Amino acid sequence: MRRRLTWTAIAVVAIVAVIGLVRVSPVALRGGTARGAAQVTDWGEPDLQGIWTLENDTPLQRPPRFANKEFLTEKEREALDQERSELLGRDRRVERGTELDVAGAYNAVFNTVRPTGRRTSLIVDPVNGRLPPRTADAQKRDADDRTFRLALLQATDTCKNKMAGCTGGTYNPVPSPLLSDLPPQYNTGRMNRHDNPEDGSLGDRCMAGNLPDLPNAFGGNYIRVVQTAGGVSMFYDTGQGQGFQRNIVMNGTPHLPPQIHQWVGDSRGHWEGSTLVIDVTNFSPKHDFLGSRDHRHLVERWTRTSPTTLEYRVTIEDPTVWTRPWTIAMEYAKQSDEQNRIYYEPRCHEGNYGFPSLMLSARIAERDYAAHRGPNPATKDNATDFVGVEENPFNR
Amino acid sequence: MRMRFISSMISVAVAAAAVTVVVMLSVSRMQGQGAPGAASAPPARIGGKPNFSGIWQANNEAYWDLEAHEARPAAVTQQGIYPYEYARVAAPPVVALGAAGGIPGSIGVVQDDGRIPYTADALKLRDENAEHWIDRDPEIKCYLPGIPRAMYMPYPFSITQSTNKVHMAYEITNTARTIHLDKVEGPPADTWMGHSVGRWESDTLVVDVTNFNDKTWFDRAGNFHSDALHVVERFSLLTPDVIRYEATITDPKVFTRPWRIAMPLYRRMEPNIQLIEYQCIEFAEEFLYGNVRKTPLVSHWESDTFVFDVKRKVPPGDKFYEWFRK
Repeated sequence: MRRRLTWTAIAVVAIVAVIGLVRVSPVALRGGTARGAAQVTDWGEPDLQGIWTLENDTPLQRPPRFANKEFLTEKEREALDQERSELLGRDRRVERGTELDVAGAYNAVFNTVRPTGRRTSLIVDPVNGRLPPRTADAQKRDADDRTFRLALLQATDTCKNKMAGCTGGTYNPVPSPLLSDLPPQYNTGRMNRHDNPEDGSLGDRCMAGNLPDLPNAFGGNYIRVVQTAGGVSMFYDTGQGQGFQRNIVMNGTPHLPPQIHQWVGDSRGHWEGSTLVIDVTNFSPKHDFLGSRDHRHLVERWTRTSPTTLEYRVTIEDPTVWTRPWTIAMEYAKQSDEQNRIYYEPRCHEGNYGFPSLMLSARIAERDYAAHRGPNPATKDNATDFVGVEENPFNR
Repeated sequence: MRMRFISSMISVAVAAAAVTVVVMLSVSRMQGQGAPGAASAPPARIGGKPNFSGIWQANNEAYWDLEAHEARPAAVTQQGIYPYEYARVAAPPVVALGAAGGIPGSIGVVQDDGRIPYTADALKLRDENAEHWIDRDPEIKCYLPGIPRAMYMPYPFSITQSTNKVHMAYEITNTARTIHLDKVEGPPADTWMGHSVGRWESDTLVVDVTNFNDKTWFDRAGNFHSDALHVVERFSLLTPDVIRYEATITDPKVFTRPWRIAMPLYRRMEPNIQLIEYQCIEFAEEFLYGNVRKTPLVSHWESDTFVFDVKRKVPPGDKFYEWFRK
């Protein structure tokens, strides 16, 4: 009896041990459903390596007309592709020789227009595909910010002609006293004033790299993932030379102390089965994601869903901006390693002649105005460029 | 009896599960090594080759000047009361830093005769570069450092070594390069950081770096190159925590022959070491764009010259100052 008990116990130990091992063993990952051997590294971790990009365009929020629809039919995608390729970002000239005509610096040559994706929105939670309501404080910040930006435009033709750039504002030929005021919070967007470098948008300053890296018309959304045993490194090629290196700490240590803020936060990752889970905090108060700054908290989940696809889901939480966390899902597609079409350069910064030129032209305009040789700079709009945006079918 | 049997089975199973969990944890702990920022030494080899993964940093004065040099009072100096080179004093752009702005001496990292073999014209340009360091050094503008300069700047960098790629991420300006061990197409244009293609020679990683532009420097002493630069780097482990780094530099437009630098790169041993962003674009804005502010903050125009003001305010209660006032 005693002997039998011992043998049974040993068998149980063996079974439990095997079950335990199966749960972490690379063999199990390799043997999992629809997972090829190429998706596990030599050292047995899930293999996310390679160059990845988004091959489709999907609006962040579900367009109102698709209210209860999560996916588009093939026919609807074709129709949207047709409509978008005819309109979006094309070289649509307004009246030649006008300010607005030359203000549109970026046309289809510069902008990325990808085929319409399957989903009606990147947002998968809330299920309506729309951003959750903003907190009262966030709404007040939004309104203050908009009021300030509109004030800087009030004496310009943009407001006079009721262009999209002046939406919510009214024309007043007398320039606003806010023209020499500080913005209500640290500025990250473009404003109709170039008194200081800080008046520039982060994009104009070549500092727009951010997380999460949403698909944007300015190109990029390429990522290279390189792994080593217990380590993951990601380089983002995004926003026309505003890419960045992302270092993911995988050793289980806690986040950086709260006094350290980073543009792309502090990323701490671990594996959950075949999914790389990354917790990101310590964001900078000088970077903005839809109004979210240093209180942003991301939980990212990266899963290789096939040899050629990488699913990315990120839950975004910031109680100072949204009333609840929300989640977006995107699918990255594998690109050829050999073609190597991911560019860490040219970087925006090394060739940034545009930004100092904006400030220099403003100084020249002020000098000319003072010498009665030119118009009041406050009546000129150097900030908005909305030609064609109102036509984007994703916004309807 | 049956009851006791079952309960002992359960406790055995629980114990076994606990043991398994401990084993799993230690397995995953071991797999966690080798990560940049990992707590302990990485697995010695990966893909059959020495594993360089981890966070590293040079610990020398090469970022000031690759060649052997004695300590000097500042990066920008001017003639003092004596006409001698060795008696120069700190110049206005950096004088406010006092002794903290001094340049440490160095035995140099240039191999063989210790000198960079410039052509006569190039040597003249190097000396001019040094004199106009503030205006010309791309580092001051937060431009990409290039290779080899990125390897010995006073910031850590990480290596993530896979079987087909070795990725190097630099703390300085959050940049990176990927060393391709497999076949890839070259870049469509010249680059700041070069195009790195690696191969193994036994246990040494040999990296061929090409496709450079002529815009990067080697250090803060004006040492430079042209777009004909070709760098061959060699990485080998001296000990598990020290890499021997060597770079052979060829550029027939600037140098009379190939020359070499060599130095150790040390593993950063802090258990919680990680790269902290050094996003210097923003730090260079005042320097780059301060002159086009509507109201200059720290500087002003004098005719066509933009002047950075350096003022040292004597703190109240300073004894020397009080004596002087009397």
